Amino acid sequence: MAQTSARKQGVGSVIWEYLTTVDHKKIAILYLIAGGFFFVLGGIEAMLIRIQLAVPNNDFLSAGLFNEVITMHGTTMIFLAAMPLLFAFMNATVPLQIGARDLAFPFLNSLGVWLFIFGGIFLNLSWFMGGAPDAGWTSYASLSIASPGHGIDFYALGLQISGAGTLITGINFATTIITMRAPGMTYMRMPLMTWTTLVASVLIVFAFPPLTIGIFLLMFDRMFGSNFFIVEAGGNTIIWEHLFWIFGHPEVYILILPAFGIFSEIFATFARKRLFGYSAMVFATVLIGFFGFMVWAHHMFTVGLGPTANAIFAVATMAIAVPTGIKIFNWIATIWGGSIEFTTPMLYALAFIPSFTMGGVTGIMQAAAPADYQYHDSYFIVAHFHYVIVGGVVFALLAGLHYYWPIMFNTMLNETLGKITFWFFFVGFHMTFLIQHFLGLWGMPRRVFTYLDGQGYNAANMISTIGAFLMAIAVIVLVVNIIITLAKNERVGMDPWGDGRTLEWSIPLPVPYYNFAQIPLVRGLDAYWVEKKEGNGKMMPSESLTDFHMPNNSILPVVMSLGLFIAAFGAMYFPDGQEWAIDAVSGLEPKPWALPVLIIGLGITFVSMGIRSWKDDLGYYVTKEEVERDLEELERGGK
Amino acid sequence: MAELNQEPMTKAQLEYLRRQRTREMRQQLVSFGLMIFLTFIAFGLTAMEVIPAQFTIPLVLGFAFIQVILQFYYFMHMKDNGHQFAKLFMMTGFYFAIAFCVTFVYIVWIGAPVN
Repeated sequence: MAQTSARKQGVGSVIWEYLTTVDHKKIAILYLIAGGFFFVLGGIEAMLIRIQLAVPNNDFLSAGLFNEVITMHGTTMIFLAAMPLLFAFMNATVPLQIGARDLAFPFLNSLGVWLFIFGGIFLNLSWFMGGAPDAGWTSYASLSIASPGHGIDFYALGLQISGAGTLITGINFATTIITMRAPGMTYMRMPLMTWTTLVASVLIVFAFPPLTIGIFLLMFDRMFGSNFFIVEAGGNTIIWEHLFWIFGHPEVYILILPAFGIFSEIFATFARKRLFGYSAMVFATVLIGFFGFMVWAHHMFTVGLGPTANAIFAVATMAIAVPTGIKIFNWIATIWGGSIEFTTPMLYALAFIPSFTMGGVTGIMQAAAPADYQYHDSYFIVAHFHYVIVGGVVFALLAGLHYYWPIMFNTMLNETLGKITFWFFFVGFHMTFLIQHFLGLWGMPRRVFTYLDGQGYNAANMISTIGAFLMAIAVIVLVVNIIITLAKNERVGMDPWGDGRTLEWSIPLPVPYYNFAQIPLVRGLDAYWVEKKEGNGKMMPSESLTDFHMPNNSILPVVMSLGLFIAAFGAMYFPDGQEWAIDAVSGLEPKPWALPVLIIGLGITFVSMGIRSWKDDLGYYVTKEEVERDLEELERGGK
Repeated sequence: MAELNQEPMTKAQLEYLRRQRTREMRQQLVSFGLMIFLTFIAFGLTAMEVIPAQFTIPLVLGFAFIQVILQFYYFMHMKDNGHQFAKLFMMTGFYFAIAFCVTFVYIVWIGAPVN
């Protein structure tokens, strides 16, 4: 039950604790570890791509392997690195920022992380089991139906499993933020991180079902003999493109909005000023979220939608620049005249403004449909989306890692090493991707595994590769920094940055497993700052000290996810050698065990769902006495 | 320790709850009856062909719309307080879904085989 006795734990009990945990702080760490692992994996794939492209006519990777590497780089970075790492920071901060003891559905939170982990493992097993997916991260249907072997099946099933986890987590965060805010925490007093998490969660709720449907159709085409995308049988491959981008465009906002949230917190903290134009920021966040759904066809200008459709989507796309511009100017106005402290997170935040704006400007260039015919499928596009995703999201992840590290691990990352990481990453990033704009304008196509000598691409590609190595050095320094910090384990106290503004900094570190001994009363925007300036620097409680209810740990989420993981293998090998199957797999050896495996896997999942439904799990109460003991101990430690 | 803390209700509270539930039940039954009635009319109009098809189609669509409203507001409790967010989500969902359908019909040529 309550973890009072657990001072010294064995390795086994720690692992069991993390397998069964429903605590948002531990789930944040799970997301961080798994997301960080996939981030490194995707980074290694990126290095392979850049080594292959460093010199003309290179044969470091074969053409087929190159396709697999670019597909897995894109898929891993978007689905298995960027999003889970953002979930790590959301989990670590949002319940603390709104004054809640956990998420609305702690069990589902655990299910979400395990579905993501098992989906990610399944996708990456493709490297060892006959070849990775090779149709690009967009997996356009005609190409992915034709792709021989099981690569695309790993893509479809892996993303289906991890996508279900993401959808569950999105619902969870939206519900938590809507229903579980502390007294006084009105919508217009929520920190920007919470606001952007709310909007991103709503986008997940609306955007992931189209992806789920699209992948289901692809799964049925590839594994169960349907014809949704098979043109010879009356299918239509354009439907996949639409479904994918109806999901895919909101997806980039799902990534960038929490990044905006992290930066908004960092700007306000280290400029020691209230965020400029808070209500305009909220309005812009919601507007970006709404517009995000109305622009998906700008990825498909060259498909042949016709001039009317292209014009509508071009104008809608350009409209997004307005709320984004509002945000950029508000951040500049926030640091304007502030007393700026150049910490590592702040460096990332300051570098983010020009970097992201450059990516935004090239986005507007591509929004002009006639011009897009020139940019389409060239390195210009590659440069653009790396500028917004690396310059926006990855900068935010690295900034957030340094900024929120004390909340998650009660220690501080080394600032000097952090700044070394920053400078290597910043210089390497611009060196890698700025030159790629010009490569694109000179005509170098994307997704092609090599280029000929004498086309004028040599020097630029070499510069780009050197830049990629600088980023790799940055990540290695970061890993060293993390290892040193964890080994030293120098504990820090409450509010380690000294300028915390929001509720999460008002809690003692390490954060008690119940977060708040008493739910605080929020008296304004930047609740903790209000108390620092107008009160005694402590949050006022909104309730008397009483017993409160907490959820029990459970192993069921792992079992449910494992069931789907097993079922995925059954589904994948089901069509092998069948006469009704598509050409890609009909020549393979039949696997009679596939159907039983599918049934057993789904059985495990449904039985564990049944256990969850019919066996009551009412949780437990944290007693007043225990909380009082903790508070006393804290008092003694503080003196 | 594993059971939920519950305090017994006072008599007045119980009375109030009972009244609320009776009213709720009546509303549910009325809207249920209305919906059955509308369905009957829709079936009847289509089966007996008393009026021409170009009138029947909009009429049936109109009945369907009324039924959707009744379903959402009375059966799924959207009329109750504290459902503003649910309402906002449903409206947004409708808007997106309709926008997607319109574009699919007009630019993905799904409509083409129908014509």
